[in-house]
Amino acid sequence: MARRPRRRQGRGETALGITLVAPLVLLMLVVIGFPLLNTVALSLQNQQVVGTASSFVGLDSYRAVLGDSALWEALRRSGVWLVGNLVVQTVLAFSTALLLTRIGRWSRAARTWILLPWVIPTVAVAVIWQWLTNSNYGILTKVLGWIGLDNVQFFADPTWAMPALIVMNSWHWFPLGAVIIYGALQTVPEEVYEAAKVDGANVWHRFWYITLPLLQPVLFALGLVGTLWSFNIVDSIYLVTRGGPAGSTTTAPVLIYDTAFKAFRASEAAAMSVSAIVLLAILAWLYIRFAKPEEV
Amino acid sequence: MTSVLARVPRWAAMAVLMVLVLGPLYWVTASSFKDREEILRRTPTLVPESLTFDSFRQLFTATDYGTYLTNSFVVALLTAVFTVLVAFLGAYGLYRLRVPGGDKIAGLVLLAYMIPGTLLLVPLYQVFAQLRIVNTHLALILVNVAFAAPFCTWLLRGFFQAIPKEIDEAAAVDGAGPVRTMLSVVLPLMTPGLATIAVYAFVYSWTEFVFASQLLISDDLKTLPIGLSAIMGQYTVNWGLLMAGTFCTMVPAIMPFLFVGRYFIGGLTAGAVK
Repeated sequence: MARRPRRRQGRGETALGITLVAPLVLLMLVVIGFPLLNTVALSLQNQQVVGTASSFVGLDSYRAVLGDSALWEALRRSGVWLVGNLVVQTVLAFSTALLLTRIGRWSRAARTWILLPWVIPTVAVAVIWQWLTNSNYGILTKVLGWIGLDNVQFFADPTWAMPALIVMNSWHWFPLGAVIIYGALQTVPEEVYEAAKVDGANVWHRFWYITLPLLQPVLFALGLVGTLWSFNIVDSIYLVTRGGPAGSTTTAPVLIYDTAFKAFRASEAAAMSVSAIVLLAILAWLYIRFAKPEEV
Repeated sequence: MTSVLARVPRWAAMAVLMVLVLGPLYWVTASSFKDREEILRRTPTLVPESLTFDSFRQLFTATDYGTYLTNSFVVALLTAVFTVLVAFLGAYGLYRLRVPGGDKIAGLVLLAYMIPGTLLLVPLYQVFAQLRIVNTHLALILVNVAFAAPFCTWLLRGFFQAIPKEIDEAAAVDGAGPVRTMLSVVLPLMTPGLATIAVYAFVYSWTEFVFASQLLISDDLKTLPIGLSAIMGQYTVNWGLLMAGTFCTMVPAIMPFLFVGRYFIGGLTAGAVK
């Protein structure tokens, strides 16, 4: 922020400001704030089909949900999903961003086409990857066949479905991380590298002691938002496996979705949602507490 | 480092990246122009030999794809219009004028796009049921705008910062009121920013699956993510048809992005770095 003397703002402008911000705030209250509170209310009732009549039953739904292994199993799968996505996407995004800084004038065009997998709808991603891995005609199946991975039906096999979905989802999302990291890399002054080079630092040293520390604020934010967004994903999973085969890809949000709209146990779904939100809030708090870069 | 040899691995890596990113997109496009026999050939052809539009013809005549496509356009365009409106006004108030508690609201806006939308599906459905707007496009548009607007508001911040405050002050000296300053001085300068968030909101709505799958019940209201996955369930072995459907689902998202991609990337990286 520039520290120039500010013109005093008239009362008219303040009124205008409030009027302008009102629609945004109102919309967020109605569609995000109120339902958030309503989830808590709903979780204390015994609603079955979403939107039907129900009565207050206290903590019954929580007892049912937390006492059942289904939620814990789903949370474990969410953990696998989260770690898998973070690792694969971080590696892909970082190497892509570093590559982009080394290709000079080509990087401008590359930044646009690299984002295409992120721009296309998830349903398209789902169909594409099912076609690529089709057991009879898929080109990826054929290529993998040459290196000895024969006859694996990736999305239909309980052991392979989760890793396959993680790869697919990473393909969909890593471009966003790559472009953001690339943007951050551009802010590192060239002189710093030059100085380090003069001092005899090799490529790894420069990456480890200069690039990473300087990128910390961006990586911190990306890690936080990326974790919350990844946890939240239902579409990538649902459009391909619907949580199967044999429940092997039923993460917590998929379980919540199924509980509410397939098993018609709305209050139990709400209790799961509240539990998940509390868990996420604790994780986010711990992350901010221990990973926040010092200078911020 | 400048010798030709040193460049080789870099270009090799670039080639791998291109195959990884663009390969699947090309493969879908190529497959959608192949005829039935060619698409299932044992040794796949890299370039379609048959080059037929049969799959597209079948897609639009034998399935409801046309309806889904129209619905997606209606919802996505309206989402874009309302998101731009809400986000521009909100961002102007938050980042350009002084609003009491503005910093706190700006913080909440940031927080809002981290909230897991899926976890709100159940209570939101209940709210819409009470308002009797389940199974309308209105409900879906409301949700899409509410989830796209916070991010767009935040994205606009960088664009506002690029316009010097002195312009507003000069306009005030010339006797323009605050509303006129906003509409005829700042607004025209914001065109790239507004185009960027319009495309973001459009693409957000275009790809949205979770809410659309529950809020829309009638077949003639469904959007593409639901429609295409239904077609997939129905025509599992007709890959040409599915590829044509995927192709037509991708293009409307890719096209507008190619026009504003540059600004979008600029806004995104500027925001992330700050």
